[in-house]
Amino acid sequence: MNKIELRGLDTYVYTEVLESGLQIFVVPNENVNKTYVTYSTKLGSVYDEFVPIGEKDFIKVPLGVAHFLEHKVFEQEDGTDPFEFFSSHGASANANTSNYKTTYLFQTTDDVKENLEYLLHYVESPYFTDENVEKEKGIIEQELLMYADDPYNVLYEMTLYNTFVEHPMKYSVGGTVESIHKITKEDLYTCYNTFYHPSRMFVVVTGNVKPEEIINIISEHESKRSILPAEPVKIKLVDEPDEVFKNHEERVMEVSIPKVTVAYKIRLDAFNDLSLRDIKIYLSQLFSLQFSDTSLYVEELKKKELIDDSFAINTVYTDTHAVIMISNETNYVNEVVKAIQEGVKQLHVTEEEVERMKKTLISSQIYMSDNIFRMNNFIMNCMIQDGEINTNKVEEIKKMNLKDMEYVLNNLDLSNSTVSVIQTPRKQK
Amino acid sequence: MGDNMNYKKYDMGSFHLHVISTTRFKTVGLKVNFKRPAKKEEVTIRNFLNQILLESTNRYKSRRELALEVENLYNVSCGIRSSLSGNYLVTIFDALLLDEKYTEKGYMKKSIEFFLEMLLHPDVSNGAFRDDVFHLVKTNLINQIKSSSDAPTTYATEKMLEHLDANLPISYRIYGYLEDLEKITPQSLYEYYKNMIHSDEIDIFICGNVNPEEMKQLFQELFTINTLKRTRGSHYIKHKKVRKRSHSFIEKKNLKQSSLSIGCKLMPQSDFERFYVGYIYNIILGGGSNSKLFQVVREKHSLCYTIHSRYLNVNSLLLISAGINKEDYKKAVSLIKRQLKAMVQGNFTEEQLEQAKMIYISGCKELFDSPAAIINTYISYVYLNVDEVETRIQNIQKVTKEDVIKFAKNVYLDTIFLLEGDAHE
Repeated sequence: MNKIELRGLDTYVYTEVLESGLQIFVVPNENVNKTYVTYSTKLGSVYDEFVPIGEKDFIKVPLGVAHFLEHKVFEQEDGTDPFEFFSSHGASANANTSNYKTTYLFQTTDDVKENLEYLLHYVESPYFTDENVEKEKGIIEQELLMYADDPYNVLYEMTLYNTFVEHPMKYSVGGTVESIHKITKEDLYTCYNTFYHPSRMFVVVTGNVKPEEIINIISEHESKRSILPAEPVKIKLVDEPDEVFKNHEERVMEVSIPKVTVAYKIRLDAFNDLSLRDIKIYLSQLFSLQFSDTSLYVEELKKKELIDDSFAINTVYTDTHAVIMISNETNYVNEVVKAIQEGVKQLHVTEEEVERMKKTLISSQIYMSDNIFRMNNFIMNCMIQDGEINTNKVEEIKKMNLKDMEYVLNNLDLSNSTVSVIQTPRKQK
Repeated sequence: MGDNMNYKKYDMGSFHLHVISTTRFKTVGLKVNFKRPAKKEEVTIRNFLNQILLESTNRYKSRRELALEVENLYNVSCGIRSSLSGNYLVTIFDALLLDEKYTEKGYMKKSIEFFLEMLLHPDVSNGAFRDDVFHLVKTNLINQIKSSSDAPTTYATEKMLEHLDANLPISYRIYGYLEDLEKITPQSLYEYYKNMIHSDEIDIFICGNVNPEEMKQLFQELFTINTLKRTRGSHYIKHKKVRKRSHSFIEKKNLKQSSLSIGCKLMPQSDFERFYVGYIYNIILGGGSNSKLFQVVREKHSLCYTIHSRYLNVNSLLLISAGINKEDYKKAVSLIKRQLKAMVQGNFTEEQLEQAKMIYISGCKELFDSPAAIINTYISYVYLNVDEVETRIQNIQKVTKEDVIKFAKNVYLDTIFLLEGDAHE
């Protein structure tokens, strides 16, 4: 067991790697009663083309398999219902799938040991039949339709679809109603056997626990499976161009106020002097400065009554590109799109702004370290994005400076962008 | 539970100060609560006031100036929102600050001063809020009111509650109404502000690594309001009548999925039923993924992705919602009715009963896990006369199957609303 310090946060992470390759991270916090446990695999919606374990050739699976698999992992051969197990042990359980990972989780104030052993057990015992796969399609279809009625979700997915040309980030995590009906139990087993191998998985435990106990419970459970480490899965590399798929799209939905997103697609290797972590932070901060409440530019737009609330900034990354999405709700769609396009041309930064930004970023680390859910997410994100825990985040923030930020600004290419709009049934002006 | 915590209450004349000191957190939570009996014609102006207080102050003349100061104070997060708690309209003005240890000397006082500036020193001249700010907030509110019903499930619940009983405060739209908005002026808004400050009941809660006596002095110095108020009646709603037969109606919208919203009235109950049996009933019926509704409607019949029930203890209501295909409407309603009936017939096991108790207890144990959670727990002691958490954990064990059946007999299915999605694929 290793003990590593998250510097500046009075917080320690205990880590262990088992023989099978499974990684364990424990962040004890004796000031709360609750414990939060996540068990994740590095299988997300974007891994749709890969070489299955023990085979040689690439295969392509239907869109939405990772999410479908997440639903079906709850199915157990003896008919027990994992939700029922957790409920009867005082825990509340769930699961979720994103672009790069799938996570099974529970939170509890009681019986951590029993719940943890059961989490490992049910995730590790797949049972897919033609019948139970078929039955799930109705439920997932309803889930997809629910998202299809949510205008914010539609705007987000539309933006990604129009930004990417080749990369599967283009598609919604859940797939489409059409694609999920093509999924078979064989697809599920192929993905499961390839990606739910301990070498691709990790457990993160945050909350009221003793690290040695947690690590012992997990290693004891895993040693019974006697699985050997696996080679990394070969994933099809995508040659994603810098250009966007489509420059403009409008859709009509049942909304009272139109919603708009302008997205910029930016090559990450344009900033090779800096580390990827620094690039990500500088990029998102640069846009926030111009489009948040502290910006003079936003204040001007408000005075002109083009907007009444500041912009939302959302960032998505692939290995090669960043997508910065700037969104607002407005009755003046064309004017606001122009204002965003004008605004990104005037991005700028001052010494004073860098210092204020650092205070905000540091405080967000402290808030995070006091919260077992955010701490757990922090560790998971480190593992997915960097493959290791960032123990020095506070120091990294303190080292941020005007020179590096200006370097990012000077190398920023904003020529690739796309505009997505959700319109009201009858255009209001 | 709640170890290393010290609670002190001070009567400050025009308000009560509740200090909960503990060294367990790196953050300090602060809430200033205002409450008064809920009136429909006041929700709009109250929401207006909430928004304008955060837009500018006497000292910080714009949202931008406020935002700059927020960042200088290590992103101290401040918010304000109103909610309907039974017979009352409650406005909570809250802040989360860092423990001074992680910032700089004097940070705590500076942050609290800044927070109270928004509440106590509004941007007012000649007896009215500033005209341009008023106008800006008003435009914002028009959009907020219009788009607040964009989410189908929210809209379905609102519609259903208005049909269930339009006089029930919980059926008021918390962002307000366009027709009421038009009547508000910069002058009337300021009059209302003074009215709120002088006649609402005020409680201030602070939780974190703080010294009670120091806090008392600080608030005595900074929170300068001189009026006396006394607590009025209870928060709890008692329905006057129930329907013999439930009422159902349908509305069509261009959506892909249909939203089903069902409301049931809960008739006179003892305190024990209200505080304990009701929770257990709800958990068994539709409280989570192991509930009867989830297991039957979703897992067995694959009719939906979401389905759950909610127990609104203070409002004496039980709400059920589900997202379905319009073709499955009749089938879903009949399955839900069957589950309600099964509860009356005692068609659930001792095991389910015990499980529900565990879930309830588990919920109790996290009531002290963050400054905000601790403050909410104390608010419920002060406003709702609920038992202390330790007592609750003992009392919940006393709930029997017969208690749940008796409770089920007083659940009256009242309104069934389908927001029918008629979009063509």
